[in-house]
Amino acid sequence: MIAYLRLEVRRTLRDVGFVIFGVGMPVAMYLLFSNLVLDGGGQRPETTVSLMVGMAAYGALGSALSVGTGLAEDRSLGWLRQLRLTPLAPSRVVAARALTGSVIVLPAIVAVLLAGRLVNHVALAPWQWGALLGLLWLGSAPFTLLGLGNGYRLSTQTTGVVNLVCNLGLSVVGGLWVPTDSFPGWLRALSGWAPTHRFAELGWSVADGHAPHLATALALAGWLALFAGYALHSYRVCTRTA
Amino acid sequence: MTRPARTGPHAPAASGATGPATPESPTTPTTPVSPATPVSPATPVGAGGPFDGPGHRGAAPAVRLSGVGRHYGTVRAVDGLDLEIARGSTVALLGRNGAGKSTALNVLLGLLPPTAGEVALFGVPPRRAVREGRVGAMLQDGRPIPRVTVRELVRFVAASYPAPLPVAETLALAGLDALADRRVDRLSGGQAQRVRFALALAGNPELVVLDEPTTALDVAARWAFWEAMRRYTGRGNTVLFSTHYLPEADENADRIVVIDGGRVVADGSGAEVKRSVGGHLVAFDLAGASGADLARLPGVTAVRVHGGRARLRSVDSDATVLALAERGAVRGLEVVPASLDDAFLALTAAPATARGAAEDGATEDGAAGDGAAGDGAAGRDAAGRGAVGAVAR
Repeated sequence: MIAYLRLEVRRTLRDVGFVIFGVGMPVAMYLLFSNLVLDGGGQRPETTVSLMVGMAAYGALGSALSVGTGLAEDRSLGWLRQLRLTPLAPSRVVAARALTGSVIVLPAIVAVLLAGRLVNHVALAPWQWGALLGLLWLGSAPFTLLGLGNGYRLSTQTTGVVNLVCNLGLSVVGGLWVPTDSFPGWLRALSGWAPTHRFAELGWSVADGHAPHLATALALAGWLALFAGYALHSYRVCTRTA
Repeated sequence: MTRPARTGPHAPAASGATGPATPESPTTPTTPVSPATPVSPATPVGAGGPFDGPGHRGAAPAVRLSGVGRHYGTVRAVDGLDLEIARGSTVALLGRNGAGKSTALNVLLGLLPPTAGEVALFGVPPRRAVREGRVGAMLQDGRPIPRVTVRELVRFVAASYPAPLPVAETLALAGLDALADRRVDRLSGGQAQRVRFALALAGNPELVVLDEPTTALDVAARWAFWEAMRRYTGRGNTVLFSTHYLPEADENADRIVVIDGGRVVADGSGAEVKRSVGGHLVAFDLAGASGADLARLPGVTAVRVHGGRARLRSVDSDATVLALAERGAVRGLEVVPASLDDAFLALTAAPATARGAAEDGATEDGAAGDGAAGDGAAGRDAAGRGAVGAVAR
């Protein structure tokens, strides 16, 4: 299983598209938004921090979903069937794919946090940096499962599109790009339910200097369970028709 | 081109050279072919022969399918398939496109559950055999995955098996030494095919299953592939491969299982399969005589009359020729061994609904209505005559 994880991580990091769009985009958007769009505002430091967290979450989201896109591709190439003819247990294949997601979200998170620290001189206590990294890392798990659910169920093209829509839709609705304060009332209400908003809340709490609320953790756990069920169901459908 | 009557180099001694009717060929329950298979003179040959060799008694066979069916809705892709493969043999599953080969292999490998019957590999369910690392396979629809090198992929698959081949050995066997550090998605079709072959071997499994391993390969790549394959079969593992390409089956397998309409229609060595449809073709000029009752002559399984010349397929050419001689119908008489192509076409040319080559054998006048098969066979007879024809006078 570790061998499979290693193989998949290696394959992902060799994907130029992944490195550019999965890691480069969030960093570029973060620097662009923080230095051009928000420049001149009085509350700049705070906004920069919250934008940093939002963009790190956005990067993690995109990377996590990309696991599903890769999975759909492998499925269409017959690679998943080939794997079923090796002694590797199917459950381990799925687990390794999920773990792949948890590894490949790290570059985007780290890159955005580094940009915040080095370029925008975001000042946080060491424990805050550590907690931020750890929570964003753990909190990305539901999105990996969402991506896997799509990847097991949909064709390669459809998975790509659906994952992109999930990525952009959840980012906007969750307030990862633009603070929800500026949203109209109905959208702000919707945003409260979005898994991405809860995900980013983990980081925003830490940046504010306190632990995440229990409600946030519970909501995310709920989404985790929901997406895990979806991934499992898709997996079963996929292996039944293979 | 098909070499006539060639017995594979690994043909087990037990497969008698005398065909199905031999007294010493035991009709033991190990007969791989269902008694229901409606191929009377073309009855699968070599019963008790090609497998169940003395060295393997007691051990479960590498493959055992009993009454396996797989339906897709109302379509019966595999229909009552019985097949047993002894350890250490190389078996070709031969059939037309759509004969049910791939479905049979997918069921055999545990990728598809059978809708009827039972599958066992080494006496255990296929998934368990796969989990135990006793099976390696090359599927037909596998394509190279991106961003990984040949060596990485082979090493990864090998590491998932309990007792794999050394990676370098696998690469050498598959002829991939020089390509080890290339990315698999940047290889040519033939090279990628060899990578898939390498993945099937990498774990040193006891049973290797290859679904149409040489489809879409050019002649050179095909040749290179079988070279690699022969290096591997020399190691004593069991190999099952499917093909619709006859010379491949004849040259690379100890035993050929012909499948059509989802069931076995013939089973034996290349020579036996040929004999099962009528080992020889007997041709003579009718010289105005009627060809009406020729089908009743001894040994004759099929009759075709074309251009004043009768062509009889016969399982006992001596008896046929004697009977013709009694009638004085020996003008331009020729007796040639049937080629494997003839056997294959005779076994599979009938539409699946009118299954059973031997049935159509008795009425090949009618079956000749499906034209291409019969004419093609006749054309080859003519061509083959010069080379291998034994002219009886």
